[in-house]
Amino acid sequence: MKILVIEDDEGTAGFIAAGLETRGHEAVVARDGREGFERATADRFDAIVLDRMLPKLDGLGVVALMRAERVSTPVLFLTNLSGIDDRVDGLEAGGDDYLVKPFAFEELMARLIALARRPTLGASTTLLAAGDLEMDLVARTVRRGGEDVVLQPREFRLLEFLLRSEGRLVTRKMLLEQVWEFHFDPQTNIVETHISRLRTKIDRGHDASLIHTVRGAGYMLRVANPAA
Amino acid sequence: MSRTRLLRTASFRLAAIYLALFAASALALGAFVYLSIRHEILADFDERIVEETDALRSAFAEGGRERLAQMLEARGASGGAFAYGLQSPDGRLIAGDLRAPAGGAADGWMEAREADSDEPPEAKPEIVRALATRLGDGSTLVVGDEQRRSEEILKGVMSAFGWAVAATVALGTAGGLWLSAQFLGRIDSMRRTAQRLMAGDWSRRIPLTRTDDDLTALARTFNRLFDRIEKLLLANKQVTADIAHDLRKPLASTLRQLEAARSVDAPPEAARAAVRAAIAEIEGVLETFNALLRIGEVEAGARRAAFRPLDLAEVAREVVEAFQPAAEVEGKAIIARLEASLPMPGDKELLVQMIANLVDNAVSHTPSGTSIEVSGEQTSQGVSLSIADDGPGVAPQDLKNIFQRFYRADMARKSPGTGLGLSLVAAIAELHGLQCSASDNRPGLRVMLTSAEENE
Repeated sequence: MKILVIEDDEGTAGFIAAGLETRGHEAVVARDGREGFERATADRFDAIVLDRMLPKLDGLGVVALMRAERVSTPVLFLTNLSGIDDRVDGLEAGGDDYLVKPFAFEELMARLIALARRPTLGASTTLLAAGDLEMDLVARTVRRGGEDVVLQPREFRLLEFLLRSEGRLVTRKMLLEQVWEFHFDPQTNIVETHISRLRTKIDRGHDASLIHTVRGAGYMLRVANPAA
Repeated sequence: MSRTRLLRTASFRLAAIYLALFAASALALGAFVYLSIRHEILADFDERIVEETDALRSAFAEGGRERLAQMLEARGASGGAFAYGLQSPDGRLIAGDLRAPAGGAADGWMEAREADSDEPPEAKPEIVRALATRLGDGSTLVVGDEQRRSEEILKGVMSAFGWAVAATVALGTAGGLWLSAQFLGRIDSMRRTAQRLMAGDWSRRIPLTRTDDDLTALARTFNRLFDRIEKLLLANKQVTADIAHDLRKPLASTLRQLEAARSVDAPPEAARAAVRAAIAEIEGVLETFNALLRIGEVEAGARRAAFRPLDLAEVAREVVEAFQPAAEVEGKAIIARLEASLPMPGDKELLVQMIANLVDNAVSHTPSGTSIEVSGEQTSQGVSLSIADDGPGVAPQDLKNIFQRFYRADMARKSPGTGLGLSLVAAIAELHGLQCSASDNRPGLRVMLTSAEENE
């Protein structure tokens, strides 16, 4: 992936760029809002990491100008501590996701991949599938190997999110935000228990497990390679 | 209270202005009444003289001077109200005792003198208002009456008015002074209370009088303001103390760990472990900062603009559903009694967090086997939501403090968490006009969120 990092703090910018490069991605760093906007319009990127507070032109301004120029590159906002309003403002201005500093690199990476792979608008699907697992979004039904799997609405939403992110890491935080709309981290392990229930339901009577735990990072729905 | 301050008070000045206006209008009324009475009395007085003169003139017409003189003598002897005089053309008094002044023998009104032989000559001769009429034979008839009586009536009216005005001024002054003293006394008690508060005695409140008037309402509003200030001051004190404890402690221990890791002879595994521990500590500190800022943001109230109508029961159901599996794994049950819809305007994201914090607390601070009940109902004031558990509960002395920042009952201090979860609950509740209270569920803890009564 080719990622534009618009961040004036050298430490954070360096941390993101180094992390991207070690994972084989390309990182372009811009140090202020105006430079960032110019680069974003001049070149094609898979995603943009955009700090809220920037010299010359702030993050909201960059996104607003970009969208006015019909640049639809997905934007991930970096906000400082707290910031309920910050997030709402960022998403309203045209941002696609947000992450509160400080963050784990894996979290940023997972979100960037999710953003870059996001299907373009209009390309709506009614059927999701992974291996022998099928999900009908219209009939709200799930089948594994031809057998019906009965899910509760929230479990359905959880599985849908995992299916849409098939083969990619999904962090606990992403699930809390997307499935439960929890923008905070409760002490109780609500994600773990829901995942384990879902796993029990869809893996029952099947040898291959579809939902995998990625240690210390999150989960991934992946069809096991038959050769492995 | 000094006399000059009393005179300077708004209510006294108001009373004085009203008093002056009232006295002026009373004087105007008095003058008008006096003048009309005087006019009436004098007109009546003159009319009676004219009537008497007419009667005498007709007597003269019938019987001539002789008959008139007889009549005058008879009337004078009977002691009637009038005084009479009949003068010959040469000025000689033919009958009666009223004499027109010298040379004043003309017709018309005049001031005549009574030539009364009974009175001593040195006595001031009585002056009467008289009507002189020239008769057919050249003689002059004078009919008069003592004006003293009507003057006495007018004098009486005057003095009555004088007393009335004096009494008005006196009563008005006394009343004005008394009213402003009352008013000033209450203002003074407010001022004194405010001064005591400023001096640091934050428990002071303005004493409320039994009368329920504007000043009492003002005093009540001030007292509520003082309550709020006191609460903020206490919270501030608490935060200062707890920042010292909750933030300085982890930072200091992080510093120690990192210093130990830096030392040359530290084994690599130990150094790594120290760094790991330091990271965990710092994460905790950041979490605390985050929570504090979030509370601050909620308390500032900016989110109120984003309120939408929603169903609190629906929000609660979603939260319960999210926590149920995790609770079951830990051997706890969450029971939802949320059949009634609880409509209210609100910020869904914040309300989710509010209920989630309460349920999260109930799940993570209770032993296995606990059952947690989330129930809602409509009340006359709006909505009521209760989150109750039958766990060990909170000591009675801690109940009223658990919504304070960093406050953690002894038990909870050992368990993880920032100690800010319930403060955030309280802040979100207040933003939504909900009253937050904790009580003993016998056994366990019950937290109630109820629509507060409308403030006046």
